[in-house]
Amino acid sequence: MRSLAPGSFVPPHVRSNRFVAPRFLAMSTPFTHLHTASGYSFKYGTALPSALVQRAAEFGMHSLALTDRDGMAGAIRFAQSCEVHGINPILGVNLSFLHKKYRVTLLAQSGHLASLYRLLSGINLGEENILTFPLLQRFAEHASKVLVLHGPDSQLANALAHRRTDEALSIYNSARELFADQALEIVSHQVRGDGPLSTPLAARMLGFARDHGLPAVLTNAARMLDRSDGPVADVLDATRNLVPLHHRHTERRNSEGYFKDSPSMQRIADEVARAAGERNGRTLLATTEQWGQRAVLSVRRDIGIGEIHLPEPAMVGAKDRPELIQLLRDRCESGLHSRYTGALSVQAAERLEDELATVRTLGYESYFLAVADVTNMARELDIRVSARGSGAGSLICYLLGISGVEPMAYGLLMERFCSTLRHELPDIDIDVESARRLEIYDAVFNRYGDPDWSTPNNQSRCATVAMVETYRARHAIRDVGAALGIPPIEIDAIAKALPHIRARNISKALENLPELRSLNLTTPLMKTAIELAGRLDGLPRHLSMHPCAVALSDIGLLDHAPILRNASGYPMVAFDKDDVEAIGLLKLDILGVRMQSAISYALSEISRVDGNQVNIDEIPLDDKKTFDLIKSTRTLGIFQVESPGQRELVGKLAPNSFGDLIIDISLFRPGPVKSDMITPFLNSRQGLRKRSSIHPDLEPVLAETEGVVVFHEQVIRIIAIMSGITLAEADEKRRDLGTIDGQQAVCDWFYPAALARGYEYSVVNEVWEVLRAFASFGFCKAHAAAFALPTYQSAWLKTHHTAAFIAGALTHDPGMYPRRLILDEARQWGIAIAPVDINISDRSYRVERTDLITRAPYQAPDLPSTGAALSLPDARGYAIRMALSDLNGISDEEISTILAGRPYQDLSDFVRRSGASRPVTESLIVVGAFDALHHLGDPGAAGVTGAINRRDLLLHLQDLERLTGSRKDLGNGQMTLGLLPPALSASGLPDLTASERVRHEIDVMGMDISSHMMEFYGEFLNEIGAIRSSELIHQRAGASVLVAGVKVALQTPPVRSGRRVMFLTLDDGYGCNDATFFEDVQNSCADLLYRSWLFLVRGEVRRTGPRGISLRATGAWELATEHEKWRSLRVCEPLSG
Amino acid sequence: MFEQPENPVSSATPLPIRVLAPEGEPTEFLYKGRRFHIHAIVSRWRESGGWWNRIDDGNRHNVADEFSIFDDGARAIWRVEAAPEGAMTTFEIERDEITGTWLIRPTSRPL
Repeated sequence: MRSLAPGSFVPPHVRSNRFVAPRFLAMSTPFTHLHTASGYSFKYGTALPSALVQRAAEFGMHSLALTDRDGMAGAIRFAQSCEVHGINPILGVNLSFLHKKYRVTLLAQSGHLASLYRLLSGINLGEENILTFPLLQRFAEHASKVLVLHGPDSQLANALAHRRTDEALSIYNSARELFADQALEIVSHQVRGDGPLSTPLAARMLGFARDHGLPAVLTNAARMLDRSDGPVADVLDATRNLVPLHHRHTERRNSEGYFKDSPSMQRIADEVARAAGERNGRTLLATTEQWGQRAVLSVRRDIGIGEIHLPEPAMVGAKDRPELIQLLRDRCESGLHSRYTGALSVQAAERLEDELATVRTLGYESYFLAVADVTNMARELDIRVSARGSGAGSLICYLLGISGVEPMAYGLLMERFCSTLRHELPDIDIDVESARRLEIYDAVFNRYGDPDWSTPNNQSRCATVAMVETYRARHAIRDVGAALGIPPIEIDAIAKALPHIRARNISKALENLPELRSLNLTTPLMKTAIELAGRLDGLPRHLSMHPCAVALSDIGLLDHAPILRNASGYPMVAFDKDDVEAIGLLKLDILGVRMQSAISYALSEISRVDGNQVNIDEIPLDDKKTFDLIKSTRTLGIFQVESPGQRELVGKLAPNSFGDLIIDISLFRPGPVKSDMITPFLNSRQGLRKRSSIHPDLEPVLAETEGVVVFHEQVIRIIAIMSGITLAEADEKRRDLGTIDGQQAVCDWFYPAALARGYEYSVVNEVWEVLRAFASFGFCKAHAAAFALPTYQSAWLKTHHTAAFIAGALTHDPGMYPRRLILDEARQWGIAIAPVDINISDRSYRVERTDLITRAPYQAPDLPSTGAALSLPDARGYAIRMALSDLNGISDEEISTILAGRPYQDLSDFVRRSGASRPVTESLIVVGAFDALHHLGDPGAAGVTGAINRRDLLLHLQDLERLTGSRKDLGNGQMTLGLLPPALSASGLPDLTASERVRHEIDVMGMDISSHMMEFYGEFLNEIGAIRSSELIHQRAGASVLVAGVKVALQTPPVRSGRRVMFLTLDDGYGCNDATFFEDVQNSCADLLYRSWLFLVRGEVRRTGPRGISLRATGAWELATEHEKWRSLRVCEPLSG
Repeated sequence: MFEQPENPVSSATPLPIRVLAPEGEPTEFLYKGRRFHIHAIVSRWRESGGWWNRIDDGNRHNVADEFSIFDDGARAIWRVEAAPEGAMTTFEIERDEITGTWLIRPTSRPL
């Protein structure tokens, strides 16, 4: 057979090397794709906008349209890619129309992108959420600037497919008035038959356009980058429709809907034109080109990249810019007078002048004032706020009350936050009480939003911000598995075991997970699934609301971005936070921090119980007892330093000051941990090794961190000192260090600059090595300082108001540990745990004064290596009353009615009036909520003749229920119909045993309240010689020990080597044990660690610092099973003991 | 309206043939020992898909190396009228886009 030169059908494998272009194509003009869907069509397009743009550039095209389905979330990334590759962007949207039966593509005309945004926002925010004629009429001023393409799935094409030419014409004519212009969109994917995407229908549409003098353009309605992306598109179709793969559910009939090059598009133009009876497709291509020109946008002018839109002066109370500048100055100066005195105030005034000059140059006055406006709104609502991030480096932020950390004392720099050399808006994040975050949202929307969002000229200045969720390993494998019909159990096992990694790394990860070896991953089906999941990697999956970002702008927010309504009902910019910054909106992160709620709650409890008004924002930052508590590593519940890794670190680092806390927080990040920056720092700090000093000039900069570079601020200062440039310039150099190219450039500049200042070559060399090594690991000190403040505040509260703090932690659950562990923490400081009491317990955890004798609080061992003994809290005399809200199955409504009906005389009174459901009442009985009311004694008193116990109460409840029968839901009054409630009497049945009680507590409240669940294993553990966590510190390093406990946390953080390390934290009622499982033991234990929750662990003791201790696990067993074995042995040998 | 059968290729088992296609478009072929001349191309289209049905059966293509689902059974189909001498017949000629193999099946179905 002769070798064949392909004609209009080009097989993929010969396209690149054997294709010989016909002569007339030799000088082919570039084609412009006017209809292209990217991954931002969400589960439809298979390529990212950047990949499409790059391909367009490779094909020598000059313009490209992005017309995603039903939204424009990819617009900004697309425009940014276009700018990089020199492509003219065109933006549009493909919308469903008429009950989602048909689709049309809208394109923004050059210079009128805002109109398309406004129209799209109108659709999104309107009642019907779909393009309708009434809506188009209402938005006529915007629709009239939009271009429309009637493609193969339009109503018009459908009419032509059924040869209803008159109907097609009337559709076209009816829309004439509404839009700027309309064209028929000709598409042929060369599918079989004469339906949509076939050449026959394309030809009929072209003929119709010609016969009636209407414009027709050619597109390929591409949703794929390459022919070979077909299977990915099919999986997305199946996933989008929540069905398994089947021809009925996949949209494509072949693989032609990909991003074709210009010659291919010209061949299609010819094919269609000839089928329509024309000589060639030149007219079609020329019209396409004209339409492209009409829609080309400017990346900067139209799309607004690099613009800045801040709220107008009037929004913050100034009438023009000069007044705005004065307003900022006045506010700052009044802050200065109240916060600084003496020499410091002179220094502060100087710095303020510098900062104000910077802000003035940048024109950011309204930025600072708007942020201060939001924090003030929060304070007016009595909601705790504190700034986080580099903003804490700015004195202005401190003086305006945005940030609570005094920047000068800790060497924080404005330049790290904001400088005239950087033309991007600085980033301020605000932490607020999580429980009240939405109140601040509402206040912001009230002030900056226009109440009616559906009007054509809405004048809002604020919206929430979108977040693009992309496919990562777990979702990818789940969706592909469902599409391929793999049994959900198998897919579930894989998905759950996968760490949070990129989807394309799945196969590598699977090799390293021993617990998955039992699954057969080498079948063709599994291999296909894994390969396809890799192809979904990074594709947008869903547009959700960014959990905390709010965008503020000038009055034209809806001209700058399309808006939609998110799941919580707030208007939301369809762009993500990076996009929002790129188009110059003020992005403010309002983070709900549960610790702030816990702190606020603790303060209110202190005031209620002790009558003590604590102003937590004014406490001294050098309290010795607070640092003693942190050093003891008993940091559970304290912000930032409670994780197993942090407990190990504070044990090593033993922080003595607020500055140390800042260092601690900065060091505890993957970079420093991985690169082992911590060891030289600790060695020097503990006096094991004398610290190295590079040059005396750098001594003031590096002294605080033992000569190790930890902070961005230090890098900035080092560069400035060595080269003589300003801090702002030095921060630019620091940023350049982040890339390889930038590093080279800084290197080329740094050596001559520092040598010229008279530094010796060896010094310059050494400093450069430090800077280079540091580039990827440093941390912004202002950010760490902002974090250290709530850390210190929570530690201070735990130290001085232990019960109130723990009540706050139980109520707002701010940390990583389960409530039962926090409850046990309370016990360890001598706090009594008061059970649920139907007449006392509140919705939340309450502090009480008590005379109950509890065990002595935890004492830190007084080790010779640590010097002085630590003075730790003693919270005896306080109790924490269990809350109703943690009762399993109780509703908010039930709690309200129970609280409203108090006090109750007895159980029958409660049943009659409380409105609580039967299961809830039962739960309340078994956890002892009626014990006090009915004077029930200890379980030990059970069996005493005539004594009532919880079992009797349960029986009584049954009687009461029987009496009211099925009509209980009629509410009150049922009991009074002449019938007396049955009497409560002792049945003589034995009471619940102590272990039954604990089991009920765990079932009903999820925690062991009356005693720690490990107590039931006490005898066994003593006999086998298991060590309590509080005793572990007395063990010598390297000793092999047994520990036991309840699983508190199992973490598998990513590590550089790719080898997995598992960290298990166990609680045994005396504190926590941390055990590390390396690969060698994972084979035998990994599955067990995931599955069970009571463990016996054997391991070697590792000492990590004065109070740092952990175990390197050598084995793990299920505690209950081992306990059972031991018991059965003992039963067999009853006389042995 | 545009319902497709489960297997979009017609049911008659296609046979491999030799095809002459100088510009990528078939003009002549050898069928059962006779040389057929193509008089007209009635229609032509492209098909692919259904890769998920082929994952397990293992008898895809005779290509030596492991098959890839991303080939996706792509094929180009021409419905042609061809005759040896006088006896005009309608055929479907198919080229497997992955291997380049030509297949043929006589068909009586009109498009």
